[in-house]
Amino acid sequence: MNRRVLPYLLSLPALIVCIGIIVPFVIAIYYSMQRYNLALPYLRGFIWFGNYQSLFTSSEFWKTVTVSLLYTVFTVGIELFLGLGTALLLRRPTTFNNIAAILLLLPLMTAPAIASLMWKLMTNPGFGILSYLISLVGITNFKWASSPTTALFTVILVDIWVYTPFIMVLLIAGLRALPRQPFEAAELDGVPRTFVFFRITLPMLMPYIITAVLFRLIDSIQQFDIIYAMTQGGPGDSTLVFQVAAYLEFFQYTNVGRSAAILMVLWVITYVLSLVFVKNWRRLRERAHGAV
Amino acid sequence: MYEKERRLIEAFVGGRMSRRELFAGLGKLGVGAVAARYLLNDAVTSAMAADFDWMKHKGTHLKLLLNKHPYADAMIADIEAFKKLTGMDISYDIFPEDVYFDKVTAALSSKSSQYDCLMTGAYQTWQYGPAGWLVDLNEYINSDNTSSGWDKKDILPNLLASDSWSGKPGDALGGEGAKQWCLPWAFEQYCISYNKRIFDSLKLTPPQHMEDLIEAAVKITKSDNNAYGIGVRGSRSWATIHPGFLSGYVSYGASDFVMKDGHLKAAMNSPEAKKFTELWVKMIQEAGPKNWATYTWYQVGNDLGAGASGMIYDADILGFFQNNGDTKEKGNIGFHDFIANPEAKAPKSNVWIWSLAMSNFSKQKDAAWYFLQWATSKEHDLFGAIKGDMVDPARQSVWDNDDFKSRMGKNKGYLEQFEKTSPGAKIYFTPQPLFFNVTTDWAAALQRMVAKQVPVDEGLDQLADSINKQMEQAGL
Amino acid sequence: MDHTSPLETIFRRVALGVILVFFLFPIFWIVLMSFQTNEQILRIPPRVFFSPTLSNYKALISGELITTVGSLKLTFMHNLWNSFFLSTTSVLVALVLGVPAAYAFARFKFRLGEDIAFTLLSIRFAPPLLILLPLSLLFNEIGLSDTYIGLIWVYQLICLPLIVWIVRGYFEDISPDIEHAYRIDGHSWAQTFFRIAVPLARPGIAAAGLLSFIFAWNNFVFALILGSADKQPVTVGALAFVTAAGISYGQIAAAIVLSILPTLALALYAQRYLVEGLSLGAVKG
Repeated sequence: MNRRVLPYLLSLPALIVCIGIIVPFVIAIYYSMQRYNLALPYLRGFIWFGNYQSLFTSSEFWKTVTVSLLYTVFTVGIELFLGLGTALLLRRPTTFNNIAAILLLLPLMTAPAIASLMWKLMTNPGFGILSYLISLVGITNFKWASSPTTALFTVILVDIWVYTPFIMVLLIAGLRALPRQPFEAAELDGVPRTFVFFRITLPMLMPYIITAVLFRLIDSIQQFDIIYAMTQGGPGDSTLVFQVAAYLEFFQYTNVGRSAAILMVLWVITYVLSLVFVKNWRRLRERAHGAV
Repeated sequence: MYEKERRLIEAFVGGRMSRRELFAGLGKLGVGAVAARYLLNDAVTSAMAADFDWMKHKGTHLKLLLNKHPYADAMIADIEAFKKLTGMDISYDIFPEDVYFDKVTAALSSKSSQYDCLMTGAYQTWQYGPAGWLVDLNEYINSDNTSSGWDKKDILPNLLASDSWSGKPGDALGGEGAKQWCLPWAFEQYCISYNKRIFDSLKLTPPQHMEDLIEAAVKITKSDNNAYGIGVRGSRSWATIHPGFLSGYVSYGASDFVMKDGHLKAAMNSPEAKKFTELWVKMIQEAGPKNWATYTWYQVGNDLGAGASGMIYDADILGFFQNNGDTKEKGNIGFHDFIANPEAKAPKSNVWIWSLAMSNFSKQKDAAWYFLQWATSKEHDLFGAIKGDMVDPARQSVWDNDDFKSRMGKNKGYLEQFEKTSPGAKIYFTPQPLFFNVTTDWAAALQRMVAKQVPVDEGLDQLADSINKQMEQAGL
Repeated sequence: MDHTSPLETIFRRVALGVILVFFLFPIFWIVLMSFQTNEQILRIPPRVFFSPTLSNYKALISGELITTVGSLKLTFMHNLWNSFFLSTTSVLVALVLGVPAAYAFARFKFRLGEDIAFTLLSIRFAPPLLILLPLSLLFNEIGLSDTYIGLIWVYQLICLPLIVWIVRGYFEDISPDIEHAYRIDGHSWAQTFFRIAVPLARPGIAAAGLLSFIFAWNNFVFALILGSADKQPVTVGALAFVTAAGISYGQIAAAIVLSILPTLALALYAQRYLVEGLSLGAVKG
């Protein structure tokens, strides 16, 4: 088969399937430029960037941007740290490690929307086991998702619980797929272990880390299930992230135009972040291969 | 059917005999309970069919969009009666309450003709109606398509009015030019449901007004009952505003909006509003649930049922469910009407009304109307109220029914609070399409005040400003 | 790397212990709750000891919930089947479409190749809410609304990017030399792809397949908006235990346990492919 045509033949079916999804996306861009509240049909009209302008001049929106970014940085950062640590601990394919790796996937298997209901119960001041456990060590007035100072912490905690296993499983697979020669050579030469970790393991693992972080990043900045189920964006607007704000605009306030504008901003942020990651992904891949 | 049995059943259907008397009478004639119920349903169906052509749309297939709710469960339990009466076929999609209105908005905004009728509340129709998604039912109510037995006057008038609106922001509900966007099915009003065990142990009586309430609630919180004083909702949602909070708010003479020069102006920072909000915030801080800001209907109910709260100021039916379900405090819950303002004479209560509406995209509207009038009929409402958990029913005839009274009478104080509260029970919000924006912001503001991030006074001024700005932006 | 000091061994064990407790304790607690009645769950303070009941599981599996009002029908098992069907078919479709594409991006440098790859990724970050309303209008037009095919199509949003990007990394890590040698032996491209490339990338395919299965399984917004009640997955179904009359925590816990089981079985099955990773090290680089 022709080498020039083959890659297109291989990748186009996947692309075509996605184009069906892109059409509604273009319609949504058009909505974002309209004054379009379903409940006020007589006011509908094209207003160019009016929705965006109103967003960028509103302090609540900037709060949403800040909260979303904080949420993303903390969840992805901590999940990467924990996921990498766990993967290193479970690196060797012993039976115990393999079983532990599967068991650690369990939080990821409980759908976040439902798991959050359980977390809400477990953090209830009366019936909640977690509230009870921390009261045993003397913390009795911790309000979890109910206090503006701890709500963000609480939803981040649940996110970490659910999604760390995602990073972990990708990195275990990555670690186990690394070639052995560099490590064997380093051991023969008596290279210190920290040096091996930072100079061999980490760089070679980097493409896997980037893939895992990329997907977590996309999902985390778009998190909805956990936050909506735990706090609905409150208290005040301390956890009002993009998707919750957009959800409320659409489903509660029927303000399609504004909702679409919020989501377009989110889309642009995600796009830029992903682009940075993918550029690095390529560079690191080439370097990782060069290092071997 | 034998002559004696038939006469008994006709007496019952005609309203001359209570259900208990009927069953006792049939029992004497040697008719068992199951057979009696069968005979009865049969008789009800034929009584309804007597003067109206229910079979007009025979063979039509209707589809409903329903919320997973005791009311829907009661309707489904009775659905065979409808099929038999009309010869129509009917199917339904039930979605969990958590996501129900998302599904409704999605289905209607995509103009899908899939569903003919749906469950809704009045507030939602303030969006759905103007959006053109619902049918004005007045067209049908006053037509030949309505059975004479349907009896519009029997529906509690406050509720019927609360479900109708002209579509013009600020116009009174049920006022001139109002369209009937939906029909009341069953509803809830707000009262104090309290734990008799805890109240007795502390020698407390149900509170009479706000200050009294706070005092009692603090006493319960400080006692060694392992319970806090008063359960109310607190999540960042409209649902936090509409129950106890708004009922107390209007009792103090406050209102959400005032009309100024033809425009609606937010009035959450009026002196009355500030006075009441001050008390409300203090009540939660001193004797509310610790995790108040995450509290929804479910947590408020759970806590009452599990003995974790001394009382709640929320829906009477929420207390009812906790008093009759599989809960720890089953049978321990008492009910009392509540006049928040010590200077007011009678209780005022906002209401939530589960109602039935007809989709404007339905391709068989006449047949859909047959379903609506059956589902809101005296007969079905009575069935739901006695056999199911369709409380509080929206029809006066059900409240007058002896069987229903004796059932509800087993809940201490329930009928009394209903009688006292019901005359002042209606929707007290000003109808306008930004209802959900306003109430969500309102709840968020309350959360900030309770968390002491902002003083009540300042918080309410900010809230009113922000709402006025939004109303302006929307062109209202 | 086996020369670990005793202190380090202790540290590693403690760290692993803490991690296991943090991640597994909530699961353990959910399993306990699934054997309790609501009244037992809602006790102050919560207790570890209780007399277990199977009533939650009975209600879910038999599809009948006996309450004070009477018997209510539950559709949970049907929801479970929907989840299973939607996730499995979506992942299979995504594998068929995605693995060749991943191979193309890894092996060939072709014009627009990177752009196509990025476009495939970018569908992942179109927020679902943004496209759902236009999509439901579109689906109404072309008759795909409320069909399994329509849903499986939309589920590609979740599965396809994951599979393409994870599997691509694995293909890139496998040296092309083996494939070259095999082709020089006179085998066609397709033979090389199926006999050499795919088996070598199996751990990656297994990991990507498993993860996209889990993500498809956990989704609920697509089916909720685009499907009628009989197409709803277990994530929506489990919410049915939250009703005006109360939240049935016991049943939700049992629902979580039942809904984890199929995924867990798949993970255990995929495990054998996942561990192949290490043995492959020798043929790489």
